[in-house]
Amino acid sequence: MKGWGLSVPAAPALAPRQELAGWKAGSCTWSLAANQVSRPPNPALSALSRRCEMAAFKGRRLLLWHGRCWFSQAEPPVPPQPPDSLYPPIVASATAKSKAAKRRRLEHFNQQVHAAASIEEKLQLYGKLQRPKYMVYPQTFALNADRWYRSFTNTVFVPGLPPRAASAAAEAPGAAAPEAAKTPAGAAPEAAKAPEPGTEAPEAVKAPEPAVAARAPYLDVGELRSLVCDALLQESFYQHKERPFLYRDQDHTPGPFLTQLVSTLAAFLSTRNPLLAASSLDLKPEVNYYWHHGEEVVVRGYRKGRVDPVRFQIDDNPHLQIRVPKQLPEIVPLESDLGDVPVIDHKPSKLPLFKRQYENKVFIGSKVADPCCYGHTQFHLIPDKLKRQRFIRANLEDQIEVLYRANGIASLFAWTAAQAMYQGFWSEADVTRPFVSQAVVTDGKYFAFFCYQLNTLALTAETIQNNPRKNICWGTDSKPLYDVVEDGSVKGFNDEVLFNLVRFLLNRPREL
Amino acid sequence: MATGARKAVYPLFQLGGPQLRIFRPNFYMLAVRPGVPQPEDTVQFRVSMEMTKVDIKNYLEKIYNVPVAAVRTRIQYGANNKRNHKNHRVKKPDYKVAYVQLGRGQTFQFPNLFPEKEQDTETRSLEDLKDKYMEREEQRQKGDPRRGGVPDWFGL
Repeated sequence: MKGWGLSVPAAPALAPRQELAGWKAGSCTWSLAANQVSRPPNPALSALSRRCEMAAFKGRRLLLWHGRCWFSQAEPPVPPQPPDSLYPPIVASATAKSKAAKRRRLEHFNQQVHAAASIEEKLQLYGKLQRPKYMVYPQTFALNADRWYRSFTNTVFVPGLPPRAASAAAEAPGAAAPEAAKTPAGAAPEAAKAPEPGTEAPEAVKAPEPAVAARAPYLDVGELRSLVCDALLQESFYQHKERPFLYRDQDHTPGPFLTQLVSTLAAFLSTRNPLLAASSLDLKPEVNYYWHHGEEVVVRGYRKGRVDPVRFQIDDNPHLQIRVPKQLPEIVPLESDLGDVPVIDHKPSKLPLFKRQYENKVFIGSKVADPCCYGHTQFHLIPDKLKRQRFIRANLEDQIEVLYRANGIASLFAWTAAQAMYQGFWSEADVTRPFVSQAVVTDGKYFAFFCYQLNTLALTAETIQNNPRKNICWGTDSKPLYDVVEDGSVKGFNDEVLFNLVRFLLNRPREL
Repeated sequence: MATGARKAVYPLFQLGGPQLRIFRPNFYMLAVRPGVPQPEDTVQFRVSMEMTKVDIKNYLEKIYNVPVAAVRTRIQYGANNKRNHKNHRVKKPDYKVAYVQLGRGQTFQFPNLFPEKEQDTETRSLEDLKDKYMEREEQRQKGDPRRGGVPDWFGL
């Protein structure tokens, strides 16, 4: 104590209140008695300790800087010392230009975020430091973008939708009988429950049947079809609209059609799905997510030569989204391995991806206090610059599916990861349960369906090393809903797309 | 290799004379080894400053039958810092760089233009002789090793 050159007061052990007064007076006078290493947390002291720690780590001369402000609450890991040692613990510097100092600063930051009082504060601390970051656009013209996006988000892509449980198939015969006449060769239409693992099928088989019998015995597919055709005809045939302006084709007809379709279908199916009745439908919401993945060396500037994490930001504007108060059930267990994540050695700027520095935002479409904090389904509309026709004219037919997949993967990753952050998880505190969401990507005529299960948020260079978990995305190819609309009727209506849509909307947790 | 476009000069056409005008591009593209590693489907070219992305795409597709999926260009500024013997600044010329992404899943790896030459037995023996001769010459130049590197003229 005396060796620090401080003026030591007469009493060797001070009460916390006296210490507080001593600090505020502007002179650093305190004593660190040997038996005071572990103290009960004092709220008045914790704020003080945080300020003192901040002073310690920023290196500012707020007070006589003869040594370190040392409070046990924010103590980084120290080597073991005998309890009666008079010397303070030996740790790396906090301000030196060394790897140990960098590690100590990162450790301090992680502890600050762990110790944050509320989710808003956690998000604020997480995105406080602004640096240039790559802007990832879900709807992109870049070639083979879905492969790059899978590597950025540690995602495995599985073609096709996840397999439905046998229980759902058991209801299908009940539902299929009246519809067999209407759709002889279509996919099994169902008043489907949430997709469950096959192991639970035997118990679940009994449960849904009486439950289904309690409700209406089957879904009227004709009713659904007429709803869809009404919306389509209203927007494209009956309503007289002016010619669309240049590059405004999608906002002219497919946009309003999609909004109308989803709102009417959701309202119609809310009797069957109580989750939809409690849901919240957002029009043109904003979904943002900010994360680190991998490391790079800074090339130019005053920070040249330093090793930095590679930062990404997704700012997405889906056309519609449905948020619900209860989470969708998991599709596969948390630690499942359904494929490989592509590893790309090149820098993201070769995709091409560009860097900019602005606010690091994490947002699901509503603020943290909103009760509907889990995601159900998103609907994306492909813009005019990325229409099918333009790809075909440029001889890039294979990139059409790449666009849909990239959109599904990036948007759903951002949404599910933001939902997980709203529940308090982040890259150092990985998710303990999987977060599931769905998305439909369409350009008005062609529909592609995607399911996403977020198993891990730990994508930074240190946390991904021992992380066996991968995120999983199931997705279909784009299929047309109809062939052509002429003379007040819809020709070539595709029931499979409709059933997929209805199945998505009826997805709900097992308890409901 | 200069990649600029030059104005084609044709003789004056008069009725009945030969029709000599050929509308082909008069500029060239130079495929270069990328300075930083590029993805497998990307080829790097130095092109004329007047070429556009559409020009590059048409050039490769029509003349060389190379399927082009995407082209991105940038102009590299040549530095103006070096000074000559008169202390005038000497400018290095500017040039345009094009990054061409190939279509239909094709890839391109820039070839190694200067591979290591294989050693034949004859050349190896010749080089051994040369080395031995050089060693002998050096030994002769050196003085008595017992003098420890001190020259011969140093002494009484």
